Amino acid sequence: MRILENLEKFLLTEIAVDLGKKSLDPNEDLLEQGIIDSLGIMKLVLFLEESYGIQVDDQDITPENFQCLSSMVKYVEQQLQNK
Amino acid sequence: MDFEFTEEQLEFKKSAIRFAQKALNDKVIERDRDAVFSRELWKKCAEFGIQGFSFPERYGGNNADILSTMLLMEGLGYGCKDSGLIFAINGQMWSVQMPILRFGSDAQKDKYLHKLCSGEWIGADSITEPDSGSDAYSLRTTARLDGKYYVLNGSKTFCTMAPMADVFVIFATVDKRKGFMGVTAFIVERGHAGFSVSKDIDKMGLRTAPFAELILEECKVPVENRLGKEGNGAAIFDDVIEWERSCILASLLGGMERQLERCVKYSKERKQFGKTIGKYQSIANKVVDMKVRMETAKLILYKVAWMKKAHGKATMEAAIAKLYLSESWIKSCLDAVQIHGGYGYTTEYELERDLRDSVAGTIYSGTSEIQRNIIARYLGL
Repeated sequence: MRILENLEKFLLTEIAVDLGKKSLDPNEDLLEQGIIDSLGIMKLVLFLEESYGIQVDDQDITPENFQCLSSMVKYVEQQLQNK
Repeated sequence: MDFEFTEEQLEFKKSAIRFAQKALNDKVIERDRDAVFSRELWKKCAEFGIQGFSFPERYGGNNADILSTMLLMEGLGYGCKDSGLIFAINGQMWSVQMPILRFGSDAQKDKYLHKLCSGEWIGADSITEPDSGSDAYSLRTTARLDGKYYVLNGSKTFCTMAPMADVFVIFATVDKRKGFMGVTAFIVERGHAGFSVSKDIDKMGLRTAPFAELILEECKVPVENRLGKEGNGAAIFDDVIEWERSCILASLLGGMERQLERCVKYSKERKQFGKTIGKYQSIANKVVDMKVRMETAKLILYKVAWMKKAHGKATMEAAIAKLYLSESWIKSCLDAVQIHGGYGYTTEYELERDLRDSVAGTIYSGTSEIQRNIIARYLGL
């Protein structure tokens, strides 16, 4: 499964489950909508580290990397390249 | 998992106990009654090497790992009866020094860490506001970039050591729309224009570590005093709070051990109805419960230290430890008072102070309710 679909599925089933959304626009601002909150980000980081074998440093947890699905995909791809 | 301690680690714990018993226990009843912080004791702790213990040698530290640091705090909690002093030291180490060490620029580290490790300066952190406690990241204090400065506006409350701190790590939002990822950390010095501290807020326990409100009115903080990146504040806070939870709790563990020994001794000496009270099951059971809680707490806490050393993160485990230890400490303090009966209720016996101090444990560094929320999230609930 591509990173985008994999992340979207995780967000819809684990983080934004109460919102009843069927899909997420890749550029939808997940922070402004409150879809990702401070507890949700912990689960998300754990998921990324376990799914892709990458290390998400606390310094990287910024809007630049986690604002929307596209930015997350870009971040994961960069981390995979740096492995 | 390996919790085998080296001779050196155990010796340091012993020396921490000896130091605390000899140097830190004078006039605790009076300082608690008058809500007085002792800068002299603060400096003694720094000279002994506590504030710098787990920080690099270049900043005057000892470069110790987390397990050694927890043992040190355990020793301090056992030997020192002034829980406020220990709490304030931990607050500085984990909420001021550690974020600067882990997220600060070299210039920030050079400027602040040596002064904090040496006891010359006192540091405090502040995230809580009048309208945001457990929901910490809904804070309202704003930071606006204006040329070479960030301009901070807002207020903070329950800031431990605010009345005497020289430097503060303060959290403000640079973009409210981004929610918790708008939160950004700043290093604010007492002398920065627009910064002020209100009068002390009176409280139930930990009275030797006063706290107060902070007022930020067009407070100008140089850009170079931003800690980490914009929007990185929540991650910084979450990172260091695991250290804080682990190490403050270690001092409670020491307190539990001190209290248990005292209760065992008292139960073997105090006679009622012709025999020592420890021979009655209702008393013995309380002492046994104290022992079981202490041993369980020890394993939970050492596991957190081991996980942090091995993997760097232990969010859920730190939450479990915080929840269990802080609630166990209250129960043990209540048991200790009850075992000592009327004497336990007196100020002179110093058990009622432990009880008053213990209540804060289920509130600071994330309430018990928040710890349960974290654990529930990790269980997929």
